Amino acid sequence: MTLKDQVALVTGGSRGIGRAVVQKLAAEGAKVAFVYRGSQQAAEELEKTVAAAGGVAKAIQADVADPAAARRVVDGVLADWGRVDILVNNAGVIRDGLFVRMEPENWKTVLDTNLNGTFYFCRAVADQMALKQRSGRIINVSSVAADHVNAGQTNYAASKGAVNSFTRALAVELGSRSVTVNAVAPGFIETDMSEVVRAKGGDFIAKKLVPLRRLGKPEDIAGVVAFLAGPAAAYVTGQVLTVDGGLSLGAVTG
Amino acid sequence: MPTKDEIFEKVRTTLVDALNVDEDEVKPTSRLRADLNAESIDFLDIVFRLEKQFGVKIPREELFPESIFQGDAEFVADGKVTAKGLAELEKQMPFADLTEFRKDPRLDKMEDLFTVDLIVNYLQKKLGG
Repeated sequence: MTLKDQVALVTGGSRGIGRAVVQKLAAEGAKVAFVYRGSQQAAEELEKTVAAAGGVAKAIQADVADPAAARRVVDGVLADWGRVDILVNNAGVIRDGLFVRMEPENWKTVLDTNLNGTFYFCRAVADQMALKQRSGRIINVSSVAADHVNAGQTNYAASKGAVNSFTRALAVELGSRSVTVNAVAPGFIETDMSEVVRAKGGDFIAKKLVPLRRLGKPEDIAGVVAFLAGPAAAYVTGQVLTVDGGLSLGAVTG
Repeated sequence: MPTKDEIFEKVRTTLVDALNVDEDEVKPTSRLRADLNAESIDFLDIVFRLEKQFGVKIPREELFPESIFQGDAEFVADGKVTAKGLAELEKQMPFADLTEFRKDPRLDKMEDLFTVDLIVNYLQKKLGG
């Protein structure tokens, strides 16, 4: 157990990658608060699953795109557990569509959640981590689609590219206070969010475009998040770590 | 109300903790940036620690109004703080000794105003009401 008695906060925690991150951090001994927006049933089930495995996880309902939500959530965690050692900004949405037809609303929704939500939560823990604790780990979940872009994702690519730059800039500011800031850029992961694309071309992607010959599982990402949160990554900051089975190498196999 | 010496002792402790410097490095005349190597985030840290140490609220830019003049032609011309700017500075920082700064009011010298003594004077005014 590498995270014993630490306090973690994970956004978008009830499903997909977030759910695996919650389970992994709890299994490593952290007390985990996680934010969910709509999936109350999934959130309650996750609380129970973690408890049954001997861990501690607590669900908090909030929309990360709401500017006031992060402060409320973080204050709640501090009131309960007194500190925040790990923040994982995982909440993300897609609203794919070709640009010539993209409604401003779809642009705004993606930026509000993926980028602004990350800002709000980082801002809400920064004083606590940098000034009060003088330690902390911030891990932003980005995407390979920031750099290896896809048609129909101008909004998503822009949001994740911005998260990568934000990660590097914040790492510089908080470095002197022993707060590391990193990002994980997942490739093609088997989640609800990627279901539509998977249904269309998942098999081709796995067999032809991923050197490791399979799509990623949420656990593949959770393990790297736990590494960045743990003692082994104490000297890693400002990095975007790609976890994609080699997809971004751009090689076509077979 | 604490004496000036008592305030200095507490400020020194605060700076030793915030800036990771030795006690004997912290003298009343020490400049936070040039002598004690404080960075931007350290100023926030110092304010945060002083608030806790002295039980007072220190509004943003009240103790260290670092950026009040930036890019304002009325207050700064040719890299120097104007007469109007100096008057504004006096108003905003009644606890500062501007004697030296007036002789050569270069904007990049303004941070030399932020000394240990400045903090002590500020707190003395603040605590004395």
